[in-house]
Amino acid sequence: MDQLFALIGGPKQLPLYAYLLPIPLLLWAFAAEVQSAVRSSTGASGGERLLYFVDGLSAAFGKTFGWCILILTFTTSYEVFSRYMFGAPTDWAFDASYMLYGTLFMMAGAYALSRNGHVRGDFIYRSWSARRQAGMDLLLYILFFFPGMLAFIYSGYGFAELSRRMNEHSSASPNGPIVWPFKWMITIVGCLMVLQGIVEVIRCIMTLRTGEWPQRLHDVEELDKVMLAEAEQKKQAELSKAEETGLRRGDI
Amino acid sequence: MLGLGNPELGVLMLALFVVFIMFGFPIAFTLMALGVFFGYWAMGDLIFSLLVQRSYSVMTNDVLISIPLFVFMGYIIERANILDRLFRSLQLAAGPVPASLALATIATCAIFATATGIVGACVTLMGLLAFPAMLRAGYDVKIAAGAVCAGGCLGILIPPSVMLILYGATAGVSVVKLYAGAFFPGIMLAGLYILYTMIMALLNPKLAPRLPLEERNVPIFKIFQALATSFLPLAALIAAALGSIIFGLATPSEAAAMGSLGALLLAAGYGADYSKPWRVVVMTTYGILMAVLVAWQLAPSMPDLLPVVDIPPPPRSFLTAALILTGAIVLVMLPGNSFKFAQLKESVFLTARTTAMVCWLFIGSFTFSAVFAYLGGHEPIEKFVLAMNLSPLGFMILAQIIIFILGWPLEWTEIIVIFMPIFLPLLKLFNIDPLFFGLLVALNIQTSFLSPPVAMAPFYLKGVAPSWVNINDIFRGVMPYMIIVIISMVMLYTFPQIGLWLPSYLYK
Repeated sequence: MDQLFALIGGPKQLPLYAYLLPIPLLLWAFAAEVQSAVRSSTGASGGERLLYFVDGLSAAFGKTFGWCILILTFTTSYEVFSRYMFGAPTDWAFDASYMLYGTLFMMAGAYALSRNGHVRGDFIYRSWSARRQAGMDLLLYILFFFPGMLAFIYSGYGFAELSRRMNEHSSASPNGPIVWPFKWMITIVGCLMVLQGIVEVIRCIMTLRTGEWPQRLHDVEELDKVMLAEAEQKKQAELSKAEETGLRRGDI
Repeated sequence: MLGLGNPELGVLMLALFVVFIMFGFPIAFTLMALGVFFGYWAMGDLIFSLLVQRSYSVMTNDVLISIPLFVFMGYIIERANILDRLFRSLQLAAGPVPASLALATIATCAIFATATGIVGACVTLMGLLAFPAMLRAGYDVKIAAGAVCAGGCLGILIPPSVMLILYGATAGVSVVKLYAGAFFPGIMLAGLYILYTMIMALLNPKLAPRLPLEERNVPIFKIFQALATSFLPLAALIAAALGSIIFGLATPSEAAAMGSLGALLLAAGYGADYSKPWRVVVMTTYGILMAVLVAWQLAPSMPDLLPVVDIPPPPRSFLTAALILTGAIVLVMLPGNSFKFAQLKESVFLTARTTAMVCWLFIGSFTFSAVFAYLGGHEPIEKFVLAMNLSPLGFMILAQIIIFILGWPLEWTEIIVIFMPIFLPLLKLFNIDPLFFGLLVALNIQTSFLSPPVAMAPFYLKGVAPSWVNINDIFRGVMPYMIIVIISMVMLYTFPQIGLWLPSYLYK
């Protein structure tokens, strides 16, 4: 028992590790996500199925760790209540909050990449043909993305390994929890990003061949995108109806 | 190498970045790669420690924690189906005033967008809800389009807004002060929008005909009821989150967490199917229990209000129980609710994606700007600006014009995270308060949503509007509101107290 406590930083850290409790649920969500990606790719060729599998893997990491936001909401609220109503601030809430936040956005990095969610300065890019977009993306993935990510992985490894050897604990609170698993995430996420990057590069090559961006997995979208797509469909339907009844496009 | 000194390398890096941004590659990775390349060139292996230190500082940044929490709160409210009720109640309340529909639109947008902070959703939702309603009532297309677009963008200005958190994290300005400072300018801008619309309607009643009498004559009781069930809870949520930040009761991230919890409860209570009486009983009991707990807690600290002596404070386990109960209530109210588990899941996933986008941008930008600073890239820029012999006013105008122009092709995240670090060191040369500069920038960025060619708001409205509505009409309708933004910037510059009074009063 003492050894276990030594590993996690003392009995006082137990509440911090309470957020490990939902792990079975999260594992289940993770498996379900990968499975759905695999299932929705039936009928595709072997290579495409591999692409979808990697997409599903990135999404599973992003979505599973996305639930950190709910845990973050509850732990931070607990801290506020505890401080104000009982004058007893907790000594674990601060460490828990930044770790949850850091895990959330790091793990979602590859997920965002697989859904084309990273912001682009696309005011010129948008007007290009799919082939041209893919060619430029391909070039810049090789020139920028991979070197940057490899540097990220390499530097993160040394950083986390040093921390693990020293058994570094958080200095933000007395009796702070160990931080090296959190630091290890830099390397792990870097590897995920590289994996997803390879998939994106393959997509670019496919686009260069066919002249059309391949279909991505269906996923939840921003409300405005959903509505714009719906409105677009409605207008198309109205238009074809009007054309059927003999009206021409010009009047609309 | 190449005969370049370090500062020139810095300028070269910046110039290359401006070129590469146009190629449409995800900006976070462009920034990171340029930082790594130029860093390696200038400092060798040290760049790897710098890269990881900067990344880790984003991962542990206590200002940025509030971003996912505010974004989460926004997505919950967006998906809780609150907007149409809010619009209808405000429309009833604005009944007899000229241009009542347009006023209700701007007010709804201001409140909804403030709570969600998502501009695109607000403009499209209002474009589907309020825009057709205004056209049906015979409103001029231009004034209707202007009200929807301009109102929908207020959300990133009026606190609690994510943009001010980004600015605070970039500029090292206290987010609390920024919130206090942006409060009155935000209200002022919304007020000016409303004032302009009303004056236009008074001058030319054809632009915004009054509603027929039978739609205006609604009993006051009904209006109050509508307001109490839609406007009040949302306004209370915003006021509680913002108030606790401004008055120093909670840090922005704590307030955002409480806000998310409140939004969850609001969504669960709102959409619930109250045709089954047990749901009403559950919600009422919950409300009473919570009120009793709060009163019990506050009793010892307010002997005047609750003159009961010698009550021991509630045991700590009650708090845990209350939180668990809150979670349970949310779960119990979800079946048959219009805010279902599916909506919660969507909010969680979208939050993860949006947070990843913003925070990876920060990883890139922190690395880039650290290398830029190491190279001393600021020096040539400072020299250049000083050589122009500008007065502080001249510099301020120049900076705002540059940001205004950057707003044409770029979105606000890019402007704040990437270009602000270049401006900020210059502020010291001209003795400009970064807080004040931030408020002006926040106003200025409103125009980046409205100005062609990459005007998000008008294009979104065009996307959902009936097909006979012309994009040029929308742009013409938006133009006066853009001028109002510029007027309010001039007002803020001339009377800085509009923005600076509240922070200086609260935090002496």
